[in-house]
Amino acid sequence: MSLRGAFQHERKRREALVAGYVVPDNVRCVQCGICSYNCPIGIDVRRHAWLGEPVHDSHCLTCGECVARCPRGVLRFEKTPLFDAEKNPLLG
Amino acid sequence: MKRYVMVGGGVAALAAAEAVRRQDAGSEILLFSEDPFGFYSRPGLAYLLTGEVPEKQLFPFSAQDFRRLRLRLLHHRVAAVDLRAHVVVTAEGKEVGYDRLLLATGSSAVMPSLPGAALEGVVKLDDMQDARRILKLARRARRAVVVGGGITALELVEGLAARGVRVHYLLRGERYWRRVLDEHESAIVERKLEEDGVRIHRHAEVAEILGKRGRVAGVRLKNGEVIKCKMVAIAVGVRPNKGLAEAAGLRCGRGVLVDAFMRTGDPDVFAAGDVAEVYDPLSGRTVLDTLWPTARTQGRAAGLNMAGANHPYRRKVPINVTRLAGITTTIIGTVGQPGADKDTLGIVRGDSETWRTLPDAIAAQEGFEVNRIRLMIAGRHIVGAIIMGNQLLSQPLYRMIAGQADIAPVREQLLRPGAPIADILAAFWEQWRVQDGNRTVSV
Repeated sequence: MSLRGAFQHERKRREALVAGYVVPDNVRCVQCGICSYNCPIGIDVRRHAWLGEPVHDSHCLTCGECVARCPRGVLRFEKTPLFDAEKNPLLG
Repeated sequence: MKRYVMVGGGVAALAAAEAVRRQDAGSEILLFSEDPFGFYSRPGLAYLLTGEVPEKQLFPFSAQDFRRLRLRLLHHRVAAVDLRAHVVVTAEGKEVGYDRLLLATGSSAVMPSLPGAALEGVVKLDDMQDARRILKLARRARRAVVVGGGITALELVEGLAARGVRVHYLLRGERYWRRVLDEHESAIVERKLEEDGVRIHRHAEVAEILGKRGRVAGVRLKNGEVIKCKMVAIAVGVRPNKGLAEAAGLRCGRGVLVDAFMRTGDPDVFAAGDVAEVYDPLSGRTVLDTLWPTARTQGRAAGLNMAGANHPYRRKVPINVTRLAGITTTIIGTVGQPGADKDTLGIVRGDSETWRTLPDAIAAQEGFEVNRIRLMIAGRHIVGAIIMGNQLLSQPLYRMIAGQADIAPVREQLLRPGAPIADILAAFWEQWRVQDGNRTVSV
């Protein structure tokens, strides 16, 4: 990866961490609990996956630990519409 | 007040109980589970073996969750069902009546009838008790032999290796999981295992498990070779636990046959999970799936229908994500390879029969070593995919396969030798998901 590429990659990663939230894909989840076990602030990520709900917990640091540790790729970051002027009337 | 009785303590029964409760707040729900540990993540046992997760973490439901469901958990074995009298009979002879009954008795490992198979130290991986036994044995075993194929065999291999046990993995044929993986994919997995110190024996078949004072001391292969070991772990396949249903006179095939509403031959009796043999509208045949999320979906459908809803179970494109020798691998749809797999009998755990069906399709491949995508392309659609390593495209591929995306615009590009499949797919996905009305942004 070129220097520029690496920079872009890192920028995208940081953007995801800032403006993202964790979304489960429950067709993959087997409720093993590795996500909850590795959450540094004790959010029960597994429960969100069981219910098929994104982790909207305001305490979530979006540190990515659960996303990285899940052995089945259940969790991913999605951008919140919070910073999207078109979708968030507060910014419009 | 209606009484719902669930037989089985796995995810199908739990999902059914949740669904019933949602439909019918005032009913009584009884759940008979033979497993003394109650409800836990069975696929998670693999991660207990590797040490990634402690045992207590494998229980997704707290006592409070059970209370909220107002579910009575009974640790008794159900020995018989009397359909006419609407009662189940426990092993102790107690009769319990039901209005609606769910059979979610799961499946159990097939144990080959080898001399020495009853020795202490011969293990399988069906439940928590098995996992505990394996961990206990692994503490003093220096060497173990693993026999079988599919996902569970590798979970045993990797779990034991992670515990410092020297593993000898016996393959009857030439390569690993040949009905699902292609030659290259098998080679990737095998090479990775060997790098991790696993010794693979090809064309190796056990003639006898050798014992000393009732315990495993080694195995003798058909070619005469002897491997000394204290453990033999077996994962040659699973069989649906249909005995209860069969004895009751319910219609069974390989599993308990159910209609599109998960109903058995008896209108008040339903079945779901590994034990259920469901009709697949895509192939027009009845199939077995041993996938955890599938069992949950079936259980939910069964529960809704038990409570009077009219909710057909629609079998979706099967998907499983697993780690093969440490490489995250997603298997979607139809990806089968020609020929027979000598390491497994019938279905294995975490399996779907669809994967072994040979698609009328052409394979397009990309990637190298641990970053690989194989697509099965038929006509205008992708019918199956295996994604090893980088999983960025795994969710999009599932959506495109399940949604039968028309890939005509990129078909030729994908089939060109050496095509950058990942890039083509990523670009196509961007367009398709907009057309598909889905605007979620993945980063």
